[in-house]
Amino acid sequence: MSRSKVILLVEDNSDDVELTLRAFRKSKVLNDIVVVRDGVEALDYLFATGPHAGRDPNLTPEVVLLDLKLPKIGGLEVLRRLRAEERTRRIPVVVLTSSNEDKDILSSYDLGANSFVRKPVDFAQFLEAAQQLGMYWLVMNEPSPN
Amino acid sequence: MNGNVLIVDDSLTVRMDLAEAFEAAGLCPLLCSNLHEAREALTAQAVDLLILDVLLPDGDGVDLLKEIRARPTTCDMPILMLSSEAGVKDRLRGLRTGADDYVGKPYDAVYVVARGRELLQQRQKRSPGPAAPEAPAPEKITVLVIDDSVTFREELKRALECSGYGVITATSGEKGLKLAAARRPAALIVDGVMPGIDGATVIRRLRLDVALRGLPCLLLTAADELDAELKALDAGADAFVRKEEDMSVILARFAAMTRTARTQPEAASSPASPKRILAVDDSRTYLHELAPALRDEGYDVVLAHSGEEAIEMLGVQNVDCILMDVMMPGIGGTEACRRIKASATLRNTPLVMLTAVEDRQTLIDGLGTGADDYIEKSNEFDVLRARIQAQIRRKQFEDENRRIREKLLSSELDATEARAARELAEAKASLVEELEYKNKELESFSYSVSHDLRAPLRSIDGFSQALIEDYADRLDETAQNYLNRIRAAAQRMAALIDDMLLLSRISRAQVKREQVHLSALAQEVADVLKAQHPERVVALQIQDDLYANADRGLMRILLDNLLGNAWKFTARAADARIEFKATMRDAEMAFYVKDNGVGFEMAHAGALFQPFQRLHDATDFPGTGIGLATVKRVVDHHNGLTWAEGAVGSGATVFFTIPHPRGTGQP
Repeated sequence: MSRSKVILLVEDNSDDVELTLRAFRKSKVLNDIVVVRDGVEALDYLFATGPHAGRDPNLTPEVVLLDLKLPKIGGLEVLRRLRAEERTRRIPVVVLTSSNEDKDILSSYDLGANSFVRKPVDFAQFLEAAQQLGMYWLVMNEPSPN
Repeated sequence: MNGNVLIVDDSLTVRMDLAEAFEAAGLCPLLCSNLHEAREALTAQAVDLLILDVLLPDGDGVDLLKEIRARPTTCDMPILMLSSEAGVKDRLRGLRTGADDYVGKPYDAVYVVARGRELLQQRQKRSPGPAAPEAPAPEKITVLVIDDSVTFREELKRALECSGYGVITATSGEKGLKLAAARRPAALIVDGVMPGIDGATVIRRLRLDVALRGLPCLLLTAADELDAELKALDAGADAFVRKEEDMSVILARFAAMTRTARTQPEAASSPASPKRILAVDDSRTYLHELAPALRDEGYDVVLAHSGEEAIEMLGVQNVDCILMDVMMPGIGGTEACRRIKASATLRNTPLVMLTAVEDRQTLIDGLGTGADDYIEKSNEFDVLRARIQAQIRRKQFEDENRRIREKLLSSELDATEARAARELAEAKASLVEELEYKNKELESFSYSVSHDLRAPLRSIDGFSQALIEDYADRLDETAQNYLNRIRAAAQRMAALIDDMLLLSRISRAQVKREQVHLSALAQEVADVLKAQHPERVVALQIQDDLYANADRGLMRILLDNLLGNAWKFTARAADARIEFKATMRDAEMAFYVKDNGVGFEMAHAGALFQPFQRLHDATDFPGTGIGLATVKRVVDHHNGLTWAEGAVGSGATVFFTIPHPRGTGQP
């Protein structure tokens, strides 16, 4: 199993996608960013099924940025299934959401999220969060060995 | 059932007859023919039941009764008196001295045994260990004594206390009633004659009080008070005794009363028992003729020679039928009838008027006062017997009806109560369900508010910033100013949403109380404020021993808001001062945060704690107007109070209390 240096962004809101991509550009994160729009597509990508059947399932993303409120299958369910699968269970997952309900934070950590970041309204803060994410997960964090 | 029955009677026939009857019932009879033997038998062995004759060769049976009642080890021995003396006097003496029952001779052996067993059972129920080695310690009964005479009060108190009773005393009826309500005594002894409200009135008032209705009451009467007994009965006294009687008689009467009050008084009038007839006539010849004839028919006949005597007798023993002569000296038959029928407890006893002559007017008077029937003395005995039987049957029938009616009524009441309880429970359950539903709805509402309303704000803010940053060269100053305004508005709205969510979350929050060091918490908040505004110089005083039994998280939110407000509103003060201290207000500890900032007009103090109410220009002092509403809600959740004092230009002080959950009666 090897890492593809890809960041998987699971987000249905196109504005948020655009702003997140811009934030990564601004903070010089040069990784490829794959964007999927709902929970089903996210799982298809991760497990190389459905429209992503041709992908090498052993190439796992460097980090998954996961929104909680998603169409079809919710973020927490995506997280649960991803953690249940041997090939994907060690992928760092950052839950990225606009809510800060205790319930969501607790469930995310219970299901094995590595981090929980609330999307700030203030774009400067958002940028900072994205930068920290990029720095931490792409630079500082030692990926788990094979 | 087993036990020793001591039978004291001078007639051998009676002794043998009763011995046989009791033996057949499984009891062990001991036989004595006089008082001397009886005293010896009583010291030689334990006696469980005593059948006692009144007229004995060596003395008066009532004397022995007195002795037995005065001795602590034998004071609650069941005693049934048996006497051939049909007169009221002995019966009164016996019952008032504490006999449990009194049966006239000739007796019905079956009834005497049945009644004896009943008394034994009642006693065994009272003291569960009849063979207990130590003397039976009677449960401590608290007696309320009401009397205006200090000598008598003290004497009675001493006597009662010697007999093992607890005693409380009152000097007047008014005080006694208050004491009865406050102390709930187990029995009452009250003097009939007192200044202010008299004894009968005291008892009548007690009977009106649901909580005290069942209190056994003994009325002390004066000798010269003719209708004292009637008054006592009318008021609902359970017993009465003449005040000049020996103290031992008063005690015995009192003991008998509390005994019967604790057991079923109905027992004596079971349908199987012989009917007791009270015959009242001044002419001895007629009564002497009448009594044996009725006794042969199986009736227990009691003879009284005047209306007064009859009423006295009725005070101590119930009867099934009263035969009353019209023409008597003293109060006379018509008046006696009127008084008996006026008494609530005696009203239902059938009363047959007897007269020697056909006298229409007397007849009308008699029936007018409530007599149930009317016959002439000259009538054949058969007619009299038939009338009596008819009256007794009628009474039994009425009693039965009344019992059935009461039963129906009480079961109906029970059913209504059950239905009401069920309906209440159902209503409660549906309310709880609705509340839970509403709470869920509110939760999902606030969830989507926090989620969905924030997303567009993020876009507005984010793209505005992207424009400013990425297209700065193509936007003039005005355009950039507009974009900055757009961003500020979006951020302000985001802050509003956050505050509203916090407010609604507090309303739903469970308060988890613990000991919170408020001083330390306030210091933490102050440190954050100083770090955020290092340019500010604020003299901050925090009293260092402030504690509250409260929810730590909510207290943090409260102090964040109060100290944050004080910080904000002192921004323009030359020498900003903020205090967090406590003071006593209305005997309760009130915490307060005081500043010397811009203050507010007291006229608007009420609006301060309403959400979205702002007293200052948003550009001067930015804020959402939810902070103090949040503070109030936190304090409300702790059942405390919030208020503010201040004046324009001279600062504001916000007070709050956090009552201890166990104090001040608040939940």
